[in-house]
Amino acid sequence: MLIELKDVNKTYNNGQPLHVLKGINLSIDKGEFVSIMGASGSGKSTLLNIIGILDNYDTGEYYIDGRLIKGLSEKQAADYRNRLIGFIFQSFNLIGFKTAVENVELPLFYQGVSRSRRHALAMDYLDRLGLADWAGHYPNEMSGGQKQRVAIARALITNPKIILADEPTGALDSKTSEEVMQLLGKLNREEGVTIIVVTHESGVANCTDKIVHIKDGIIGRIEDNREHRASMFGTDTIMK
Amino acid sequence: MRDLFTEIWESVRRNKLRTCLTGFAVSWGIFMLIVLLGAGNGLMNSFMQGGGDFASNSVSVGGGWTSKPYDGLKSGRRITLDDTDVSLTASEQFLDHVDKVSATVGANATISYGKKYFSGYIDGQYPAVQEMSKVEILHGRFLNDKDIDLSRKVVVMPESTAEKLLDNGQSPATLIGKYVKVGGLAFRVVGISKSERMRNDNNLYAPFTTVKTVYGKGKDVGSISFTTKGLNTKADNEAFEKQYKSVINLHHRAAPDDERAIWVWNRAEQDVQMKQGRSILSTALWIIGLFTLLGGIVGVSNIMLITVKERTHEFGIRKAIGASPWAVTKLIISESVCITAFFGYIGMFLGMLTCTLLDKTLGQAKMSLMDQQIAMLVDPGVGLDVAIEATLVLIIAGTLAGLFPARKAAGVRPIEALRAE
Repeated sequence: MLIELKDVNKTYNNGQPLHVLKGINLSIDKGEFVSIMGASGSGKSTLLNIIGILDNYDTGEYYIDGRLIKGLSEKQAADYRNRLIGFIFQSFNLIGFKTAVENVELPLFYQGVSRSRRHALAMDYLDRLGLADWAGHYPNEMSGGQKQRVAIARALITNPKIILADEPTGALDSKTSEEVMQLLGKLNREEGVTIIVVTHESGVANCTDKIVHIKDGIIGRIEDNREHRASMFGTDTIMK
Repeated sequence: MRDLFTEIWESVRRNKLRTCLTGFAVSWGIFMLIVLLGAGNGLMNSFMQGGGDFASNSVSVGGGWTSKPYDGLKSGRRITLDDTDVSLTASEQFLDHVDKVSATVGANATISYGKKYFSGYIDGQYPAVQEMSKVEILHGRFLNDKDIDLSRKVVVMPESTAEKLLDNGQSPATLIGKYVKVGGLAFRVVGISKSERMRNDNNLYAPFTTVKTVYGKGKDVGSISFTTKGLNTKADNEAFEKQYKSVINLHHRAAPDDERAIWVWNRAEQDVQMKQGRSILSTALWIIGLFTLLGGIVGVSNIMLITVKERTHEFGIRKAIGASPWAVTKLIISESVCITAFFGYIGMFLGMLTCTLLDKTLGQAKMSLMDQQIAMLVDPGVGLDVAIEATLVLIIAGTLAGLFPARKAAGVRPIEALRAE
């Protein structure tokens, strides 16, 4: 198993203690294309933070590729995030004063990769996503879809074990949303990248092979969706 | 390194006005520091020049009056130095600390050349006095050992004295080889020295032996001067003086601990005091300068805090994709150091420019004091050492200014990246 969560609990202690995750057990295998679906407040964002090593959990165990992720120092956590996980965010989270190629290079910069090598790699990834001509452009000169593709290139460049997408289509129109989801699907099928998508949109979830439903901090149904028939709206397009 | 500078440049470029305004405060602080230290140096140089005509390790000794009865003699007796004192000074007991010994004997005389004359003083000296009193020869030569041995009737006179004997417009150099009359005897002029501010212009140097013979001084000596060696601390100097006084006093049958039987003027002690004064002044100026700079540093810290606040989301993204806390800390501290150093150097450059300007204006202005021309500022400006120290100050200050904001930036949680803007 690539990802294994065993009885993970998380409580927020802001005034009133809030038990957000109530014993999560989840296994995701290598090469899977999974979506975690739930309404807002269901705990899916917290789960995503824990899977992405952005936040700590209180009790339980979390393994990536057999490595226990618990009580890491900030430096170690940063290193794991850098090498193991590629993030795709709802609001793209590109750095505005850096060009597309510089944004893509950034994770390699923190790995200490040489300037010329990371530039070549970044250009390579941009090219694969059809953005080679846009390499020198700043994010505000690009469309939402282009920005998200730059972000995907950035997530892929370190060749991570997991791609973690947090509402990757949240800021995109339906057509672009579909393109992005197809792109993720293609990456999963053709390159075997493990992808976890967190969403509240059933159409988006329907693009994935497995849907994990989370409700009130507990994993509910896990749907096999290899037929992509989970959503009645999802068969043709993503409804907005 | 290049990546770091690119990042810093990108950040600064977005906040030009803000950075420049704060940078001005840093520039101002360093500017004040450099100008203050420069002017302080100029002032101290001016003082130093006043007393700078003597080698700093020279000691002058003269006769005084006894202040204690001793060996059956009453106090208040006049002590006149003599040949024995000179040989005592040069004797083995002081070998460790006395280097070159010179004695003087002098007499008033009318000096004339052609129709011009003035009343002056003929100063019998040894060649060693040239080094001790830093006599600078403009034309010809100074007295030499041969002059002493042969009791030659030769003189060295200051430039200004030579001018008194010459018609307007004649170069003092023309006097070399000519004979001037000193109290009726002809002395050959062998050298013209530079006029010194601390010496009487009417003094002529002549060989010690000549003056002694001509003016029939017998064994008496006007004063003894010598250079010292191996006296590095104030205590050393005091111990030596005490020992020296007791030896000379005993020779004149005065109490060994009589402080007034002979007077000893030790330049080394003055030098120590001068150096102390200089260091106190420069410390005071450093403190004032640093406090001025502090304002600028607080400003830099302030804008760095604002920058960090503005870039919270960005730092969140950076940390999410793998920036370690140290990478973020480094970024902020480097930016702070760069801003401080860049504007600091502008201030330093302008400060040094101002010092040069001071040199050109106030540095040339002379104050008249007791018939002497004293420059208010001599060579104002700071040396390379201060420039290096100021650079260190800037780097440390920049680091301090960036430290708090950097800690804040490093503490940004990567979850910030997930928060929609």
